[in-house]
Amino acid sequence: MSTPYRASVPTPGASPQWRSLDDLARLEGGGDEFPADASEWPDALSRRRFLQLMAGSLALAGTGACTRQPREEIVPYVRQPEALQPGQPLYFATAMELGGEAFGLLVRSDSGRPTKIEGNPAHPATLGRSSVHMQAALLTLYDPGRSQGLMKSGSPATWEDLLGTLTEQRARWQERAGAGLRLLTRRIASPTLREQIARLLTKYPQAQWHEHDAAFPAPPLPAGLRLERAEVIVSLDADFFGSGALHPRAAFDFAKRRRADHGRLYVVESTPSLTGAMADHRRALRPGELADFARGLARAVREPGAEADPWIPAIARDLTEHRGRSLVVAGEFQSPEVQASARELNEALGNVGQTIDNLPPAPGPRAAALPELARAMHSGEVEALLIFGANPAYDSPADLDFNAALEKVPFTLHHGIYFDETAGRCAWHVPESHFLESWSDARALDGTVSIVQPLIEPLYPSKSAHELFAALLGELPADGYEIVRSAWQQRPGGGGFESAWRKTLHDGIAPQTGTVSAPPAQGATTQIPPTEPAAFQASLELIIRPDPHLLDGRLAENAWLQELPKPFTKLTWGNAAHLSPRTAERLGLAHGDVAELRYRGRTVRAPLWILPGHADECVTIHLGHGRNCAGSVGSGCGFNAFALQTSEAPWGGRGLEIHKTRERHVFATTQEHQRMEGREPVRVETLGKPTTPPAEAAPAREETLYPNIDYGRPSWGMVIDLNTCIGCSACTIACQAENNIPVVGREQVLRGREMHWIRVDAYFAGSVEAPQLLHQPVPCMHCENAPCEAVCPVAATVHDHEGLNVMVYNRCIGTRYCSNNCPYKVRRFNFLSYNDTHAPQLALMRNPEVSVRMRGVMEKCTYCIQRISAARIEAEKEARPIRDGEVVPACAQACPAEAITFGDIHDPESRVAALRQSPRHYALLAELNTRPHTTYLARVRNPNPEIA
Amino acid sequence: MKGRALYGLVAEFLEPERLLAAAHAARQAGYKCTDAYAPYPVEGLADALGMRFTGVPLTTLLFGIGGGTTGYAMQLYSAAVDYPLNVGGRPLNSWPAFVPIIFELTVLAAAFGAALSMFAFNGLPRPHHPIFETPFFRERNASRFYLCIEARDRKFREEKTRAFLEEQAPEHVWEVREE
Amino acid sequence: MALTAQRCEQVTDRLSGLVLREPLRRGWLAGFALAFALLMLLNVAIPWLLIRGVGIWGVNIPVAWGFAIVNFVWWIGIGHAGTFISAILLLLHQQWRTSINRFTEAMTLFAVACAGLFPLLHLGRPWVFYWLLPYPDTMALWPQWRSPLVWDVFAVTTYLTVSLIFWFIGLVPDLATMRDRAERPWMRVVYGIGALGWRNSARHWKRYEMAYLLLAGLATPLVLSVHSVVSFDFAVAIVPGWHSTIFPPYFIAGAIFSGFAMVLTLVIPVRAVYGLRDLITERHLDHAAKVMLATGLLVALGYASEQWMTWYADEPYDAFMSHNRMFGPYWPVWWTVMACNIGAAQALWWRRVRTSPALLFAVALLIQIGMWTERYMIVITSLHRDFLPSSWGMFHATVWDWATFAGSLGLFFTLLFVFIRLLPMIAIAEMRKQTTEGRE
Repeated sequence: MSTPYRASVPTPGASPQWRSLDDLARLEGGGDEFPADASEWPDALSRRRFLQLMAGSLALAGTGACTRQPREEIVPYVRQPEALQPGQPLYFATAMELGGEAFGLLVRSDSGRPTKIEGNPAHPATLGRSSVHMQAALLTLYDPGRSQGLMKSGSPATWEDLLGTLTEQRARWQERAGAGLRLLTRRIASPTLREQIARLLTKYPQAQWHEHDAAFPAPPLPAGLRLERAEVIVSLDADFFGSGALHPRAAFDFAKRRRADHGRLYVVESTPSLTGAMADHRRALRPGELADFARGLARAVREPGAEADPWIPAIARDLTEHRGRSLVVAGEFQSPEVQASARELNEALGNVGQTIDNLPPAPGPRAAALPELARAMHSGEVEALLIFGANPAYDSPADLDFNAALEKVPFTLHHGIYFDETAGRCAWHVPESHFLESWSDARALDGTVSIVQPLIEPLYPSKSAHELFAALLGELPADGYEIVRSAWQQRPGGGGFESAWRKTLHDGIAPQTGTVSAPPAQGATTQIPPTEPAAFQASLELIIRPDPHLLDGRLAENAWLQELPKPFTKLTWGNAAHLSPRTAERLGLAHGDVAELRYRGRTVRAPLWILPGHADECVTIHLGHGRNCAGSVGSGCGFNAFALQTSEAPWGGRGLEIHKTRERHVFATTQEHQRMEGREPVRVETLGKPTTPPAEAAPAREETLYPNIDYGRPSWGMVIDLNTCIGCSACTIACQAENNIPVVGREQVLRGREMHWIRVDAYFAGSVEAPQLLHQPVPCMHCENAPCEAVCPVAATVHDHEGLNVMVYNRCIGTRYCSNNCPYKVRRFNFLSYNDTHAPQLALMRNPEVSVRMRGVMEKCTYCIQRISAARIEAEKEARPIRDGEVVPACAQACPAEAITFGDIHDPESRVAALRQSPRHYALLAELNTRPHTTYLARVRNPNPEIA
Repeated sequence: MKGRALYGLVAEFLEPERLLAAAHAARQAGYKCTDAYAPYPVEGLADALGMRFTGVPLTTLLFGIGGGTTGYAMQLYSAAVDYPLNVGGRPLNSWPAFVPIIFELTVLAAAFGAALSMFAFNGLPRPHHPIFETPFFRERNASRFYLCIEARDRKFREEKTRAFLEEQAPEHVWEVREE
Repeated sequence: MALTAQRCEQVTDRLSGLVLREPLRRGWLAGFALAFALLMLLNVAIPWLLIRGVGIWGVNIPVAWGFAIVNFVWWIGIGHAGTFISAILLLLHQQWRTSINRFTEAMTLFAVACAGLFPLLHLGRPWVFYWLLPYPDTMALWPQWRSPLVWDVFAVTTYLTVSLIFWFIGLVPDLATMRDRAERPWMRVVYGIGALGWRNSARHWKRYEMAYLLLAGLATPLVLSVHSVVSFDFAVAIVPGWHSTIFPPYFIAGAIFSGFAMVLTLVIPVRAVYGLRDLITERHLDHAAKVMLATGLLVALGYASEQWMTWYADEPYDAFMSHNRMFGPYWPVWWTVMACNIGAAQALWWRRVRTSPALLFAVALLIQIGMWTERYMIVITSLHRDFLPSSWGMFHATVWDWATFAGSLGLFFTLLFVFIRLLPMIAIAEMRKQTTEGRE
């Protein structure tokens, strides 16, 4: 294949992640079913270590004693049984940090191994829902590619060596009052860590703290959106459903409003986003025009008058008619002036305090930005640089030339979960503990604080940031648990500390924190002129955004996220330069061409993706790809967009030129065709209008030659509401985590062999210029007249008494006839031995309730049958029928918009049964009379009559 | 030659018509234990020797019926009785889907019936047979025609039978003895 | 000296001589070497498949069936000519079949052997293929009788067995002849074992002819059933382009069509090399060509009615499917099929073509390519774009797909060359009867 991008499946033996693909040559027929022996241990760890690790899975055999739960007392969310029963999972409340905000989690622990991550219903940022990043954090914990040892200039060292060096360093900092000492962190959500930083800065007054977070630029989204209260929402390129940190909560609130009276969403954006796809009216504008639009809208609301753009008065009227019940949101990547217009609009419309709160900033010192640090480093002022979590050697704007600057710093230390680009260039590297391995705390945007409690002892000799800071300060206690606990003890809190502490651990949130509304920030309405040299006015605009899944590349080593199809393009294992069909036509560019993007003197080669719904005359590229030290999974797929990023305009601007090369690129996409071909798999209705009868109605139950089989109760079914589904793919990755679904790699995706049990189809409806963007999650339909079953020669897929279409892996001989005969193509086949049975870490990760499939067998969505049987057992113990909502499949549990409802369709009281009565209810390909148990609710549009 | 029991007398012809005539004559003369040998199936030769039934068609029919019934019984028992499964909402005894296998098993069994009965009734395989003792039989049986009157025939008298065969104007009359 | 014996002697001597006295010809050696080389390719492809899994082929979701099934259907089709010639033409008293039936029956067996290979290899877990058979399973499980794949198992095995019996019974008298004619003792033993002690007894001949007739009677419906069952693999499924009642007759016609094409591609060189032009005459070629023309027209009718049905049914999915075949990404496939199977076959209207070995050979080759492509069209272009546009995909054959296909050709020709060396490729006894009775 003639592409400049190295294939993502690495060379043999390069990584345990991929061993099974490479080692197959050694495996006999079913040999790959057997676990790896100690000699297969993929890295330098000892046999003893291996045995320690395997202890976790040994616990499955009923030896509850040798689990790896931390020594300190941690408190389960669910009341713990008298004695831990092997095979009975426990749930622990904890929290993860992303972009400087906390997301409360509930983590399932099977015999001491965290095996699944869910949102914490009590936590304001998640409300029990989750996002792709929360789900995928599990794989990062067990990732064999993690940094597994402390390194000094490239060679293994010990913690004691480091402590020694730090004592020397402290002496030097002491005498120079910290002059030349710099801290570099990502955005931090942990109050305790902020306190530690504050202590460091007071101890060494001359020291400076810098913050760099390429995916979450400060300031964040104007927090505290109350989407459920907003009847009219205008998004100025604000993707609050996308990678934005507010995602699960935003989708949840928005869905609430949609279900109530739909409301209306206007989205004006340059690149198609998940938010844009939900819009009742979507407008694609290039960033320059977008700024004008924002200004125009603000003007029109201030003094209504004639506007060139017919949309502006219409939207303005809609907004003014909904004072206090409307909301204008500007994207976090938009220029200050757009932010200003949004702030002005919300204030003018009296939305502040109604649909939007200005939240107080986190207490503690403020951090400086990266450019100042880089300047100081270049000028040689920096003597010691301590980097926490950040990876500036890769994810810093090209003009800072950070790597050269790094050369000039005598003492450098990197603390991170991977041995990445920066680690390789620093004198010291300390492996960072995963949040499921270490104690910490985290503050949500609204001020709610949670304790991060570990579920497993560190798999490798790693340290948490707190522990490393304690070492820096030479403080005691040095142990993470003690540090966090003592920090909490010092905070004001009524009543006995112990009980409060236990309660906080149990609930996952500290009481009496959160939802503190601050006075309206002073809207800097002064117009900031766009920072653009006039020379560039004519040329194309470049738009730089974090990758929706890999963000700024910090998650590039996470194979689940690499293989998770990106919104709209369904692209995996790489990125592309997106541009609109019209612009491509004007420039004579074709989909898949490899072009040279020249931007302000810098050049990068990128494959072109022609994306309907993209604004004309601009090009969008995503960060986070093209890494060379990500690890064997993340290295070398895609191109590095940081090469074009500049510190003065990090999110792009004018001055882009495209030069086509002769090369062509083959994209590893999971959906090659995105027009509906008049088959309307996704039905769209208009609010108020009577529902149009489906083209082909399903035959009535009576019209059959066969006697109807009557399923009793329960008869499981699922209804997916396309009107609230935002297409975020959280379901896909939650399913992957719950059901031990393997990753197949770029080559196999190219061959059309991805394994996801629930996929999210994306369609473009209407015109190419202004298409409607549609999503549709497609799991197994569990048809009553399942076409797949009748053709299986060995009865490996049959129906059970609860109406499930079950797949019997160990009976399957792999004729693949069932897949051919499945009109929904939801079946997945193990063409090769995809499951890595060699890396012991991954063995620890797997869900013990779900069998790991071998090569040559078919698999598909089971409605999480393991959860159904768990519920059934509970119900039978209490001699009662299973309650509605008691069984929640992984996809439904993860869905931030609650778009997926599961239950007994024969129970008249159940929510599914009610939804199936809705006029919007329809079955996919009903005319085939497959009688699916998974059905859909049509998408609804609420257009503004003033806009044609 | 001496000391070995006489198997029979064999007349060798060059033309099928001669053999056919001789066979008829032998029958007339009342010989029962006779057999003829020809390089290819000669029309009516077996009848001339007084052979009525082959038994092959009946066996074939029985085998065929047996195969068919087994086929249906097997499918009905396994799908509806022994291990009933709900397969795509189809009835347990979906007989139309069972027809192809019933048919195949019928044909298979019948074919075995035909082949096996043919060999069985012909007494094959039989590695050796006295007729092979006839001089030059190996070289000539693919081109010449033989009539054999066996010694065990009640009317067999060596001289008289030889004389009878000589009357049929054969190329030779051979005396064939058991091994 | 009398004529009959003389003629018999001549025929017998000549035909048995083809095996017993024939020197190793350079042509045979070259052919065998090539075929054997391909067979060795198969010997590499199969182990690699078992080690790595079917993933080494181009199959994927949605196109979960690829070359394996295409080759399977193609080989089975070729396997139909033999039985058709020996059984149906026997019942129709077509004398001309005699000089080619033995050869074509052998061809049938080898083709079916090749065909049988593929359904097993294409399994995800070939080592448990026996789960397709009804046997006392420890889990008390049975095959799922509603699946056409189970029907396949029974149809193909039955067909193979019956063809084998038919062929062997035909061979017995000839083996006896070989036994008697062979010089070397060990050859006598070997042929003797096969001959089962056959001694040309008149009583034996009678039962023999009766059994042979009955087998022909059984094989006739069998021939028709096998490809019907194979066509059910597709017709029973709901995939647009598969779900069609026209398939059984249309497949049978196609099978005999391609079968005769194969017969001609084999017979024409053989009769040239072994100087059998007087036994396998232009008349035989002419007849075979006529059968090809007839079945070819039936196939064309099949294509036509398929188009008509999609138009008449006004089914959006089927309509799209047939349009997609003609103008979709796989358009060359469809046009090749039409050019070869309909276009080339029309040349057979001319007697000159039918009786000139060279031209006939060319047409036969084209038709075989066309028929293989047709199966490719049915399997792949139907699957690659079915109901939901989101799951549409493409199929790209890998080197291992081609290797396995070439390997199966190697297996076929190797067996054929061995057969030519070791067994009389023309039924001696039947020729004896025919030459002597054709005297008057």
